[in-house]
Amino acid sequence: MLVYTIKRLLALIPTLLAASILVFLFIHLIPGDPASILLGDTATPEDVAALTREMGLDQPIWKQYLLWLSNVLQGDLGTSVFFREPVLSVIGDGAETSILLATMTMFWIVLFGIPIGILSATKHGTWVDQMTSGGAMLFASVPTFWLGLYLILIFSVGLGWFPSSGFPSVSDDGGLANLRYLILPSLTLAAPNAALIIRLVRASMLDVSREDHVRTARAKGLHPAKVAIKHVFRNALIAVAAAFGFTFAALVSEAVVTETVFSLPGIGRLVVQSILRRDYPVIQGVILVIVVLYMIINLLVDLAYARLDPRVSLK
Amino acid sequence: MKYLRTFLAMFKGRKLATIGLIWFCIVAVAAIAAPLLAPFDPLEIDPVARLSEPGTPYLFGTDHFGRDSFSRAIYGARMAVIIGLGSVIVALVTGGLIGMISAYFTRLGHVLMRGVDVLMAFPALLLALVLMTLLERSVTNTIIVIGIVYATTTARILFGMTLKLKGEVFVDAAICSGAGHGSILFRHILPNLISPLLVQASFIFAFAQLQAAALDFLGLGLPPEVPSWGNMLSEERIYVTRAPWLLIFPGALIILSVFSMNLVGDAMRDSIDPRFKDDIAGV
Amino acid sequence: MALLDVTDLEIAVAAGGKLLPVVRGVSFAIEENETLGIVGESGCGKSLTSLAIMGLLEGSQVRITGGSIQFDGRELTTLSAEDRRAIMGDQMAMIFQEPMTSLNPVYRIGDQIVETLRQHRDMTKGQARDRAIELLDLVRIPEPTRRVDSFPHQMSGGQRQRVMIAMALACDPKLLIADEPTTALDVTVQKEVLDLMADLQTRTGTAIVLISHDLGVIAETCDKVAVMYRGKIAEAATTRELFSNMSHPYTRGLLNSIPVVDHDVEWLEAIPGRVPTIDEVLPGCAFHPRCPLAEDRCNAEDPAPRDVANGHAVRCHFAGGAA
Repeated sequence: MLVYTIKRLLALIPTLLAASILVFLFIHLIPGDPASILLGDTATPEDVAALTREMGLDQPIWKQYLLWLSNVLQGDLGTSVFFREPVLSVIGDGAETSILLATMTMFWIVLFGIPIGILSATKHGTWVDQMTSGGAMLFASVPTFWLGLYLILIFSVGLGWFPSSGFPSVSDDGGLANLRYLILPSLTLAAPNAALIIRLVRASMLDVSREDHVRTARAKGLHPAKVAIKHVFRNALIAVAAAFGFTFAALVSEAVVTETVFSLPGIGRLVVQSILRRDYPVIQGVILVIVVLYMIINLLVDLAYARLDPRVSLK
Repeated sequence: MKYLRTFLAMFKGRKLATIGLIWFCIVAVAAIAAPLLAPFDPLEIDPVARLSEPGTPYLFGTDHFGRDSFSRAIYGARMAVIIGLGSVIVALVTGGLIGMISAYFTRLGHVLMRGVDVLMAFPALLLALVLMTLLERSVTNTIIVIGIVYATTTARILFGMTLKLKGEVFVDAAICSGAGHGSILFRHILPNLISPLLVQASFIFAFAQLQAAALDFLGLGLPPEVPSWGNMLSEERIYVTRAPWLLIFPGALIILSVFSMNLVGDAMRDSIDPRFKDDIAGV
Repeated sequence: MALLDVTDLEIAVAAGGKLLPVVRGVSFAIEENETLGIVGESGCGKSLTSLAIMGLLEGSQVRITGGSIQFDGRELTTLSAEDRRAIMGDQMAMIFQEPMTSLNPVYRIGDQIVETLRQHRDMTKGQARDRAIELLDLVRIPEPTRRVDSFPHQMSGGQRQRVMIAMALACDPKLLIADEPTTALDVTVQKEVLDLMADLQTRTGTAIVLISHDLGVIAETCDKVAVMYRGKIAEAATTRELFSNMSHPYTRGLLNSIPVVDHDVEWLEAIPGRVPTIDEVLPGCAFHPRCPLAEDRCNAEDPAPRDVANGHAVRCHFAGGAA
């Protein structure tokens, strides 16, 4: 297992390097002088000249990249134009919200996606199956922000059950009760993704249920529910686990929208606001962090996959 | 005619998918005949009639500028079709070419597919957002950006399918009869990929609607004056408590259109070559 | 009373709102310690018959539409699903054609045997594991204490089929149904698996129903044979009687299409024509379009089974000489 992990980690390096080059070039693709872009509109010519020297902008581009990379590896992602703070700490400020939001969303996805998927597959061809798999497709067709707006309208404005926007940290007044701020956003974010998991669990279970070993399991005299869970679902889980990497990517994308709808102080909204504020160092930093995270998630998915399927050789 | 018949045969016994196809045709008609169907100019501002409730003469009511929502919705159908078809074309042509060529010329393919892998390391909407920061807000740029995002998945899928077909006897036969690379790729392999490409196209069309709406909502998609369903939602969302219909109609139109194309794609996927079925990840 | 007594079994497939009969009026019986071979081409209904006995048709498009299956004095066709499951894997077990895919790839083989044991016997995990090792030893898997923790993909096809046999024998079933157990295996391995089954039968007294398309396999292992064609039993007799006095032209056709190793045969006789599809309605004898003896009468009248010798029944107008 350890050897496999190390091998997979090593295999990540080329992709990671290539992605880092793209992220680095991002600043250079924006029309204009990078130093002025990084410093924003209020910079004085002296500031620009200083940064030009500091970033080595007078040097060849590959030297600039190496300098940037070595800074990044030491945790220096540059300075936010808007906040006048290191990018890393700006990102850190949004991390709590985004991590909690993602965790709660994953909780809903698993809570709704998997049991409903199993139900849909075991009732294959009946009206229950048609309702759940059709309903899942409908939910996957709803724009996230539209769903979010209507949840606010119904449950915050109308019924007053949940707050409509913002998120005070759990370390502020209210403590864990502040998580109620994240209930509507996480449900919004979970809906389309749970829908995809429902469809996926159903499709993989139907595939597995046609395999010979399921007939063997039935011939043992096992209860149909035991066959469905222990044999069909357990094997279908291999395909479902493989899809969780995509779920993470979808989550990141839709979190940008959801955090904007609910005005959550997370990384997603930070991206949008930084784009509107032309705070390029933050955009660059966030993208880099997300790409690295995405790769780590994909690695974890691969490891989970190897655990779930003994046919995958770990050597 | 023959193709149309095989195409329609895929929808036999699938009521929902047939309704989806019909809805798509309605949207297409609205898109083509928008100037004839729209009772008002979608851009005409009438401050007196702002935030009118649905009824006559404003079927879907008016927005906070007093523009007729129904007319805007019809012109929005035009935008939806343009964005959808445009993204499909960009994604299938670039992604398809990269995928097929990569599978066919293995050494070049190795490099190209690594590039695709790198782009796929960026989550879809994030990639679109980053590209949009580098470009101006315009219809063309929105199409290009969404097209590029889905070109990566298309390249992956076509890569796999072309690899499978490359080993088939008919390809060997074509090589033996002296066919050139271009002829093998486009006259022998490509025709076998048409139906899976159609399936992929319908899913991209659906996803593109959602992505475009999200970009519009974030203020990074189409220019604000363009009447699109996403812009209608984005601009009027602060009036949601006073005029909830302003969000219901465009929202319902987006959902119906995306749902329809997903149903159509799903129905077509079930009727294509079983070897390719698992390659295309729809909804 | 026989251990298994199948009488006038009718099975049909539901397709397009209609029920197409696939097994029609099949009857046979089997005693303890006996092996019955059911032979026929693919599509003749032999596998569906075995699945019907086992109780594995539930949830499919195929269902029993008539007749009775008596097992150990109980009528299986009217038994509740729960009572059925109590018999499945315990008193009645089955092994399948595809050893490569019949075991669940994600569980260790030991655990898969343990699952059967703990489903029907009150055993601790440790006891069940010990018994699993014993069973693996019984089916001659080398180093059973180590192999018990192997995954299916770490074993060969022959070994996997042995594991399937071990799993089937776990609860000492009274009846073992083997559906083409050796078809997917190499010839040398085929022999070993058949010998193993015969050997285990002499030890345990299990009755075996062996389904095969191969008359050679049947001749070697079975006490009685039923030849099926298009959902009916064309000919049934003891193995010795059948091979010395083949009376149905279809049985003779089957035998002629087997290559004989010691003879220098230049020409293998195939049965002409093809097996009719299930939705084709044929008047008269189902075999007449392919039969070398066919006359007008065969086209019009379906022959009833007639006895040509003691316990040797044949469905042919020409059987026993008199037409």
